[in-house]
Amino acid sequence: MQPDLTAALSMRGIEKHFGSIIAVDAVDLDIPTGQICGLTGPNGSGKSTLFDCCTGLQKATGGRVFAAGTEVTGWEMHRIVREARVIRSFQKAVVLRAMSVEDNLVLAGQMVAFPGFAGTFAIGAASRARIRGLRERAGHVLELVGLSHMRHAEAGKISFGQQKLLQFSTMLMADPRVILLDEPMAGVNPVLIERMIENINRANREDGITFVVVEHNLDAMKALCHRLVVLSRGRIIADDTPDVVVRQPEVVEAYLAG
Amino acid sequence: MGSDMRLRIGGFAGFLALLLVAPAFLGEYQVHALIVSLTFLLPALGLNLILGYAGMLSFAQMAFFGIGAYVSALMAMRWGTPFWLNFLAAGVVAGVVALPLGIPALRLRKYSFVMCTLGFAVIAQTLAKNWVSVTRGDLGLSNVPRPMLGLWSGGIEIRGITSYYYLALGLSVIAVLAFLAIVSSPAGRYMIAIREDETLAASVGAPTWRYRMAAFVLSGVFAGCGGSFYVHYYTVISPTIFDPYYGNTLLVIVLGGGVGTLGGVVAGSFIFVALSEVLRVAPDIRMIAYGLLLIVVVFGCPEGLLPLLMRKLRRPTHAT
Repeated sequence: MQPDLTAALSMRGIEKHFGSIIAVDAVDLDIPTGQICGLTGPNGSGKSTLFDCCTGLQKATGGRVFAAGTEVTGWEMHRIVREARVIRSFQKAVVLRAMSVEDNLVLAGQMVAFPGFAGTFAIGAASRARIRGLRERAGHVLELVGLSHMRHAEAGKISFGQQKLLQFSTMLMADPRVILLDEPMAGVNPVLIERMIENINRANREDGITFVVVEHNLDAMKALCHRLVVLSRGRIIADDTPDVVVRQPEVVEAYLAG
Repeated sequence: MGSDMRLRIGGFAGFLALLLVAPAFLGEYQVHALIVSLTFLLPALGLNLILGYAGMLSFAQMAFFGIGAYVSALMAMRWGTPFWLNFLAAGVVAGVVALPLGIPALRLRKYSFVMCTLGFAVIAQTLAKNWVSVTRGDLGLSNVPRPMLGLWSGGIEIRGITSYYYLALGLSVIAVLAFLAIVSSPAGRYMIAIREDETLAASVGAPTWRYRMAAFVLSGVFAGCGGSFYVHYYTVISPTIFDPYYGNTLLVIVLGGGVGTLGGVVAGSFIFVALSEVLRVAPDIRMIAYGLLLIVVVFGCPEGLLPLLMRKLRRPTHAT
């Protein structure tokens, strides 16, 4: 099957083997531009591994990945982020704990403000003006997500849910086309889950960012996603609107078995 | 944050003022001890960059220091080049040597990188011992010319201990400012991010390998420059400069003073070199006492002396 070159993200035959264990088994998946696509499934069904293979954190055993028509198969993570503007979050390592909230955002914005390697060593007036611009932008983003009162706090000292919101804000600083979120709501209290959903919706609506969200919280997924894909044992077993998917017998069975 | 910055700038300015007037109150031997401290400051800044900012432990620092010393000495002896040129060349050559070493070494895991730099230090010493036609082997090079401060030939020759001291101080100030420029640039922010979490740094678009390489090469440049000053001060150089003793001293300065901080490494250079000199009053137990003091420092303040001091200073302002 030909890849969909108009899709924000197009995966063809993605496979990942760990010895004799097959974590991801020939997955074909197209994420159209502007969609919020949920990805769920029992533990060990290959969701995070699929993310890793699309974002360069792990090398896929086989298959190809395209981002907005450009093949990114085998690229290193920093290049996929910079050139394809596909950026991801992580389940555990969330923010740089020793840096301030604002500096976390400035760091993420640097790749936009300083595209060249040599330019990042500059400390002249032009360089400082760009950093000032990033701080200003960081202020806007923090206001949008509702973290501006935490601006100067040490990132490791704010609550876990706030850290997840912070991680989400850092990704917005990188002018992304696609954001892959790995369990953004796990371990987060209901109030912050509400706020996370609002923020994802706004970024999708106003900035046209495409989302792929791995999450176990099915209520949140129903509220958020246009489409829900279910993985089990490395394969796609369901792919439809959330309301339809959660009623499919194979999905119910996979969850009970998992 | 503002008061922190003022505290730092004030601390540095006060310390510099003290150093500027120090020779007027000190004897020749104490000024010599200060010069030795300043000599270690440059390679220590380099180690701080690779260890404290890029998070990689390197034992190659003293090898780069030795390479810089040999390059600078040979240039001065063979071609009579002025000090500034020897000094820059020593840094550049050390940095250029770091590049091919870093290409394989930085691809390795952290522990393998340590072994790789250790191996490099051994090779550098073996080369200095056995490349007799250039280095004169174990005899080393002696009668290295004193620094000539002039544009090309001639100029002022640095002879007296006080002149040496002010030359060392001037070079150290330049090195500290250069270090500050590197770590406060956007590249410095990437390096800190890489030290804290390499995957997270890559996920916001930092080409981590290139920044670790940059930190490694720059650490070599700092060390090479330090070697250049060293050789024109002592006017002799032999393969013993590659002995682990010197490398260990650097580690003590950086880890004991405060890894990943600038003030800590500056303070560490003075405290630990001076400490080693003070203990000369009891030569029999000198190294044992030094070792014991290090153990006390590690238990008393595992992050280093300066971070401990800064916390103590900050506490009163927090209470208000």
